[in-house]
Amino acid sequence: MLSKEQLYAIIDTVVAAAKGYNAQVLVMNQAEGLTRFANSEIHQNVHEDKTEVTIIITTANKRSEIKTSLFSETGLQEATAEAIANLKFLPEGDEQPPLVDSPAEITADSFNPQLEAACGIEERAQKVKECLDTLDSDYLAYGALTYAEHQIAVGNSLGIRRFARGNNANFSVIVAGPKGSGYGETMANTPEDFEYQRAFATACEKARLNQNPEELTPGAYTVILEPVAVGDLMTFISYLGFSGKSVLNQFSFLTGKLGEQVFDPRVTIVDDCENPNTLQLPFDFEGAPRQQVKLIEQGVAKALTYDMASARLAGTETTGHSVNMPDMGGLPLNLVMDGGDESLEEIIANTEEGLLITRFHYMNPVNPRNAQLTALTRDGVFKIKHGKIVGSVKTMRFTESMLQAFNNIEAISRERQRTSFFFGNYYVPALKIKDFHFTGNAD
Amino acid sequence: MKEQLQDILSLLTDQGADYADIRVHDIQEENIATENNKVQSLSTAHTYGYGIRVFVDGALGFAGSQEFENMEATAKRALAIARASRGAQKQPARLAPRQAVVDDYQTPVKIDPFTVSKEQKLALLFAAEAEMRKAVPDLFKTFGSLLFRREEKIFADTEGAYITQTLFMSGGGIEATAANQQDVQKRSFPNSFRGDYGTAGYEYVEELGLVENAARVAREAKALLEAEECPSGHFDLVIDSDQLTLQIHESIGHPIELDRVFGHEAGLAGTSFLNPDKLGFRYGSEHVNVVADATVPQGLGTFGYDDEGVKAQRTPIITKGIFANFISSRDTASVLNQPSNGTARADGWGRIPIVRMTNINLLPGDKEVDELIAGVEYGFYLATNKSWSIDDKRLNFQFACEIAYEIKDGKLTGKIFKNPIYTGITPEFWNACDGVASEKHWQLHGTPNCGKGEPMQVARVGHGSAPARFRNIKVGVADVK
Repeated sequence: MLSKEQLYAIIDTVVAAAKGYNAQVLVMNQAEGLTRFANSEIHQNVHEDKTEVTIIITTANKRSEIKTSLFSETGLQEATAEAIANLKFLPEGDEQPPLVDSPAEITADSFNPQLEAACGIEERAQKVKECLDTLDSDYLAYGALTYAEHQIAVGNSLGIRRFARGNNANFSVIVAGPKGSGYGETMANTPEDFEYQRAFATACEKARLNQNPEELTPGAYTVILEPVAVGDLMTFISYLGFSGKSVLNQFSFLTGKLGEQVFDPRVTIVDDCENPNTLQLPFDFEGAPRQQVKLIEQGVAKALTYDMASARLAGTETTGHSVNMPDMGGLPLNLVMDGGDESLEEIIANTEEGLLITRFHYMNPVNPRNAQLTALTRDGVFKIKHGKIVGSVKTMRFTESMLQAFNNIEAISRERQRTSFFFGNYYVPALKIKDFHFTGNAD
Repeated sequence: MKEQLQDILSLLTDQGADYADIRVHDIQEENIATENNKVQSLSTAHTYGYGIRVFVDGALGFAGSQEFENMEATAKRALAIARASRGAQKQPARLAPRQAVVDDYQTPVKIDPFTVSKEQKLALLFAAEAEMRKAVPDLFKTFGSLLFRREEKIFADTEGAYITQTLFMSGGGIEATAANQQDVQKRSFPNSFRGDYGTAGYEYVEELGLVENAARVAREAKALLEAEECPSGHFDLVIDSDQLTLQIHESIGHPIELDRVFGHEAGLAGTSFLNPDKLGFRYGSEHVNVVADATVPQGLGTFGYDDEGVKAQRTPIITKGIFANFISSRDTASVLNQPSNGTARADGWGRIPIVRMTNINLLPGDKEVDELIAGVEYGFYLATNKSWSIDDKRLNFQFACEIAYEIKDGKLTGKIFKNPIYTGITPEFWNACDGVASEKHWQLHGTPNCGKGEPMQVARVGHGSAPARFRNIKVGVADVK
């Protein structure tokens, strides 16, 4: 990994080469070691150390971008010159937002050396072996243990400098028996929170419960979605609906609905960069300080997330949510959903008839304007009768509008869990939802 | 460079590696997009690095880096990872034998896309947008994009292979979006999700016909906004090749990957309903003939050699409906005591090669499209993917398309429906195929964003097909009130 000084030197080199222009520089440096296992043995063990520099040069009405992994002084100067050269023939476009100019520096260092020591090459292999050694002979395990170190630096020609460093470990596992499987996952920033043995045990227990699944007729069922399944839904709800750009594009199910009651009043969703259970990154890819944004408050659509350009189009200010994808606008990365007042066990115990869902597979939007999603269940659907798990159910496909589902909430769990998504993790509870529509079986 | 790579390979052999290879990738990309007659993005990307793969006692280690001066340290890291992997290993990996060659391959191109000015590329997109606006002035959004890629690769291994390749990709597409307070509808050309791509030069983009098709695309987007919802029920469908691209991809291309069959993808994207015992089973009707063809000109999955140095091949996958072959890498093929059929590819220098689709093509049949339509009493002609999902065994799929054209009494009525969805189970669906259109209707589509593996890898794959007819397919999600 490069040092903070080396990252800032990259920014300085670009800014010097871009003299006379507005320059914004984003440096992403990630080293990741991943130990993947299948059929209860390690089959892939890899390491990659990668640095990518994104150079954005703007004038009043033009924007040019270059990404390069060649971060020698010459490489950076050549890339900057190419970005500047592109401006010459670009037609006039939208007015470009100003560069971020304050505060001068933000530094966040959540790197945990104990986690690094606990997740080296040998340690990762040993942890996987330790789990595999507990497995019953008629079950097989599949999954991955990943340890990643990341550094992000942002700077621009107005002199701002940003630096964040962190590391994390992820473990996900499927345990499969002859007729069904179970799933467990954990993610953590400290060795103490990295509960890979618990995740493995959860997958084992679910697999054992899932050995005689029955087929159910498609239709509307009461479901209890465990946090991982809720996180799956939240990823697509967020992608479809919560960015200012998605509303500007009339793609969002919140188009024309800001200020309205869109979900059950018990639903509050905040993009909370200060919550310790989410990504520890206090600035965005443009260098803007990341703000807490109350997206849904007691079911009412309150606010959206913006980057500089989408904020300008919407006549507002950036919320610090740039991911340097101008077509997407600003995306929430730190979703936290309020918990309820019952435990998951109590919710199950209070359910006369329903289905407990572990997680979903291959989700995609069917209709963005009513937040209709489809996906399949995976690694365990359990039948609940009179407050007890009485059996398991084969894979089923749901097709449902989230505007319907989040208005059909019957209970929200007190406990919440980190769940992974594209860029990091959310922190969400379990949900009990009535009339959740299953539209097919998998066999 | 050759000497440096061979020194590192010798070092690895001396230190106990049974086998090692090094790939060096130098990749340049250019991405241009316009939206509502303005430049949305103009970006280029350049990445250069290497990856070292090592096997020790059948256990794998891999390390990738950009630091060429530290190649020895990276090699030793890969070796250490391989040694650490041995602790949790039951079946040591074996690599199927392969002829080690020294060769050079380059994508045949007429016009190097990086020699065409960005002004000319922008002018093409602006012209297409202008045609869309001219046809439908109140469109909510118009969009166009182009993507070009040049990848220079070196592959060297301890068996004596030394292969250099230069692969080009060119392509793009346009979109017209209509919206009102209640709905938003989009039409795309020549395919959704940013168009079509091939291993080719700029001539590929010139042949797409972006400007020529712009007005039709715009009018259809506007018409969809006013159209009725597609009915639910069981109907006969004629499916256009642009939608069949994804149908083939999800329900044939992914299930036939031998690493998936062996469970290597189980921890992430799932396994396959197929297993080696299924060779010979009826995958589809007699009209279904599928090949994996890494040699077809301009296919996005076309190359000279895969990333294990295995020569590009054409392999029969389904012959007259009967399942004939998996696609494989050296380590997966060896389990079946077969040679690799050359489909191991890596997403750049920092990733290991895994089994990837090349061009998975549904071969043309003998029908005219009009004949296929003539055989439908009431049904729909579906085009252009809008949404997709399939289960972790690749059996239950659900696809939404951009548009459904009504077929009544063997003819297109001119009426269209919005939000068509169809669903099915893979072998049932392919067995419901009772006709594929002929070669003159056959088109090759390129998908530049096939995701697989951990860490996630993106592959560029191709699919060829002509429109085909399927009987009695479930349409809609009437179960949802």
